[in-house]
Amino acid sequence: MFIRMILGALFRQKGKMLMIALTVALGTSLASAMLNVMLDVGNKVNQELKTYGANINVLPQGALLLSDLYGVEQMPDSPDMYLSEEDMIKVKTIFWAHNIVDFTPHLDANATIDGGENTVKVTGTWFQKQLSLPTGEELETGIRQMRSWWAVTGEWLTDDDGGGALIGVAVAEQYGLAVGDEFTLDVQGSSRRFTVRGIVDAGDDEDAQIFIALATMQELTNKAGLISSFEVSALTTPDNDLARRATANPRSLSAREHETWYCTAYVSSICYQIDEVIPDGVAKAIRQVAESEGTILEKTQLLMLLITILSLLGAALGISNLISASVMDRSAEIGLLKALGAHDIPLSWLVLLEILLVGLVGGVVGYFAGLGFAQIIGQTVFGSSIAAAPMVIPLLSVLVMLVIIIGSFPSLRYLLSLRPAEVLHGR
Amino acid sequence: MQAKRSMFYLRTVFASLMRRRSRLLVALLSITIGATILSGLVTIFYDIPRQMGQEFRSYGANMVLLPKGESGTISPEQLEAVRAILPTDDVIGVAPYRYDTIAINDLPFIIAGTDFAGAQAASPFWGITGEWPSGRNQALIGREIANTFRLEPGESVVVSGTNSEGEPFEKTFSVAGIVQTGGQEETFVFISIDDYGAVVGGEVAFDIVEMSVTSSGAGLEELVTAIGQETEGVTAQLVRRVTQSEDTVLSKLQSLVYLVTIVVLMLTMICVATTMMAVVAERRREIGLRKALGATNGSVVLNFLGECLAMGFVGGALGSLLGFGLAQLVSLQVFNRTIDFPLAIVPLTIFSSLVITTLACLLPVRNATKIDPAIVLKGE
Amino acid sequence: MPQMLLELKEITKSYGALDALKDVSFDVEQGEWLAIMGPSGSGKTTMMNIIGCMDKPSQGTVLLDGRDISQESARSLTTIRRDSIGLIFQQFHLINYLTAVENVMVAQYYHSLPDEAEALDALKRVGLEERARHLPNQLSGGEQQRVCIARALINRPQLILADEPTGNLDEANELKVLELLRELHQEGRTVIVVTHDPEVAQQARRTIVLEHGRVHEIRDNALAHQA
Repeated sequence: MFIRMILGALFRQKGKMLMIALTVALGTSLASAMLNVMLDVGNKVNQELKTYGANINVLPQGALLLSDLYGVEQMPDSPDMYLSEEDMIKVKTIFWAHNIVDFTPHLDANATIDGGENTVKVTGTWFQKQLSLPTGEELETGIRQMRSWWAVTGEWLTDDDGGGALIGVAVAEQYGLAVGDEFTLDVQGSSRRFTVRGIVDAGDDEDAQIFIALATMQELTNKAGLISSFEVSALTTPDNDLARRATANPRSLSAREHETWYCTAYVSSICYQIDEVIPDGVAKAIRQVAESEGTILEKTQLLMLLITILSLLGAALGISNLISASVMDRSAEIGLLKALGAHDIPLSWLVLLEILLVGLVGGVVGYFAGLGFAQIIGQTVFGSSIAAAPMVIPLLSVLVMLVIIIGSFPSLRYLLSLRPAEVLHGR
Repeated sequence: MQAKRSMFYLRTVFASLMRRRSRLLVALLSITIGATILSGLVTIFYDIPRQMGQEFRSYGANMVLLPKGESGTISPEQLEAVRAILPTDDVIGVAPYRYDTIAINDLPFIIAGTDFAGAQAASPFWGITGEWPSGRNQALIGREIANTFRLEPGESVVVSGTNSEGEPFEKTFSVAGIVQTGGQEETFVFISIDDYGAVVGGEVAFDIVEMSVTSSGAGLEELVTAIGQETEGVTAQLVRRVTQSEDTVLSKLQSLVYLVTIVVLMLTMICVATTMMAVVAERRREIGLRKALGATNGSVVLNFLGECLAMGFVGGALGSLLGFGLAQLVSLQVFNRTIDFPLAIVPLTIFSSLVITTLACLLPVRNATKIDPAIVLKGE
Repeated sequence: MPQMLLELKEITKSYGALDALKDVSFDVEQGEWLAIMGPSGSGKTTMMNIIGCMDKPSQGTVLLDGRDISQESARSLTTIRRDSIGLIFQQFHLINYLTAVENVMVAQYYHSLPDEAEALDALKRVGLEERARHLPNQLSGGEQQRVCIARALINRPQLILADEPTGNLDEANELKVLELLRELHQEGRTVIVVTHDPEVAQQARRTIVLEHGRVHEIRDNALAHQA
């Protein structure tokens, strides 16, 4: 009979139940969209922040002191001033290999143009290199991905273009070079003619540099298989206290802390792991990018979290509001059932179960609608889909149940406190 | 005559609002929630570019000033002229630098004279072990230098070189702090511009000035053009890495909040509308009775409209205040900054809640007025 | 010949294949007290709806004060209802958030002008001046019905139409309500009471008994009254 009464209420009060289901569905879809977006926003924004370029720079131990110095004469060559190109690929074998988005090598040397007096920094690098990793993974990486802010007039260079060069705007201005012009580079005794394929406006020191393909550079300087540094763009977790302590001194951590640190994608732990696979190199976090990434990520996540809480609160209040209204609405029916001898507890169960059933239907519909909304947001903003976080489902179920119970409780209590006679006489 | 009618109209509207308190509360609560979310989110949305723009300054300078022409340096007067062009509130930090080469233990390094307060503001990402220099004869040294000579904060470092007159000098600085950036700054010795003048000599002038300005996109380009036109001997250049990337990421973030706002608002408004509809639909019987007493459809609609407008107004007004509180809370939590009260949000919120409540109440009322009074009365 | 207030000629009302009323004809004189009686399902409510201008017959004509209302639009029916008819309901139908006097004023509001003094007079008339500021749920059933009567007569309608006015009342209140109706009749108002209660019908001058949608019997109670 209990079930028949519930079914009766469900099917014979279609309009009202539909309203509740609709409201629950709206609330849950809002919650599920916001929760899914919030949980994934970190990854998405992290990806976006990769437009700032590399956050880790790997240098040979011996060259550390001098490689970045400008205005200082290059020190004489010594083998420990270079890294091997083969070693570099090993960054894709570290624990956090998956988080390494891009990396690109540099082989730098000073050169003169057309026999002039001033030296210009020439860098051999990858532009858009197709790599087949030993793990079987295919990867396309190079400076083109890592310098999203470069404005190139003319064309980008390709990696097999031995006679082409990209030159900085400052170089182009100084030597009066335009796209299509040819010039001679003298590097460490050997010289070769290059054609200007493109002119780079980088807005920093790189405006005064020349970029050519790595293989050509190695040939010119006679350093087959060697590079002078490489930069890495990695997805990282913002630093916390542990990471800061580890950066200051990795030995200060307990074994357990060390493990946590090692297995979290902090920029310091990724650097540490790169150091492990490249013994003669030192990985340094580029703080301008690494630190700021953390700030922006944290702020965005916090912002989304608060907006999510806000909308969850709104949805919860909306649902409980409607439910208490609809429970109040049934005062006459509840009065009648009480007059017929129903006890408070089964009566409460009747009302609650009804609403829970309706809420369940609304919740399921709402969850999927919310996933849809999340995808719309993901596709429109980030051009990629938002991963559906499984934890949203239990979280939502508990939330919806709580909201329904809390929403119906006060009005239910009020109704039960009424004497049946009063209710039936419409007071 | 008309006044008497209007008075009674207001009296019934008011009576309905006051005596149906629990129902009223349900409806008002839901309107207020809707209005709160509306005003809160819209305030946040409009404040995002400003707040996030501030956060993006953690990437450091987005504009550099370079000398143009013969002098090869930027004088303090020129720097002042540039600062006069920029809106004061938008300038986060100005870090002027003057460079020279020096030697420590016969190894070559670069010494930079700067304004430490400006450098700290313009490059918030610098990691400092120890302290920022605060007095004369204190230096900030790069980590590479510290590692090479095993220097700790509090120790001293001897710097030698040739001054502007061509005479050799040797000077001892105490190491206030060690700077870590992951870039070339780690091989620099930073001293105050006053110390630089005393040690290296020459008139006070800068090789480069880094500036961190809260403006992006077209606004920044305009500033660059303005500086180029209005000051002599100085060109401004954007640090493309910072400005381009900021534009990209910031626009994504803004469209994220935009879409989220739209979705949340849409769903909240539908939620408010359904609640309102439920509350109004309950009163079908009353509508039937009013019709039986001779009310025209128009006057029934008018009656309900009055109530809805009153609730929409109160809910909207409450919501716009609460919403500002929420936005303020979010801003304080996330950005640690307060936001100004955007006055335009009040009429906007009130207007939207009036529209939504009106729509939400007109629909069921119109449906109810179609019903024959007889049928409504017959039932219960 | 006395003036006819209401003339029904061969009224038929069909709901689909079912005829709720079939060829019903009768007249009501100005100032008459008429009862319409019959078991449930006999077409009483349909009859009341048609007389009360809340519904239109499928066939036949209804003349109210000489005017054919069977072809009027819903809009003008509303106007006629509000100007000429006072309704009294079995369930009272008071607006629960308005006080007694305000409920009376609602009728004034839709008719012409709300006038509180006049509304209070009407309540005094039904013996409720003390309770004028009470809400419906603070009033007893009899009191609510008297508010309903006050509301029905406030606009001085030509016709007072009562649907089971005593159906929800105890005996004491029933007598009070009937007494009020009698007073109204004696003042010269036309009163039509729809009821299934022979005791109530007995109070009227004339009783029309409906059965299965047809006029089964027209009973003159004048003799009984005289006796």
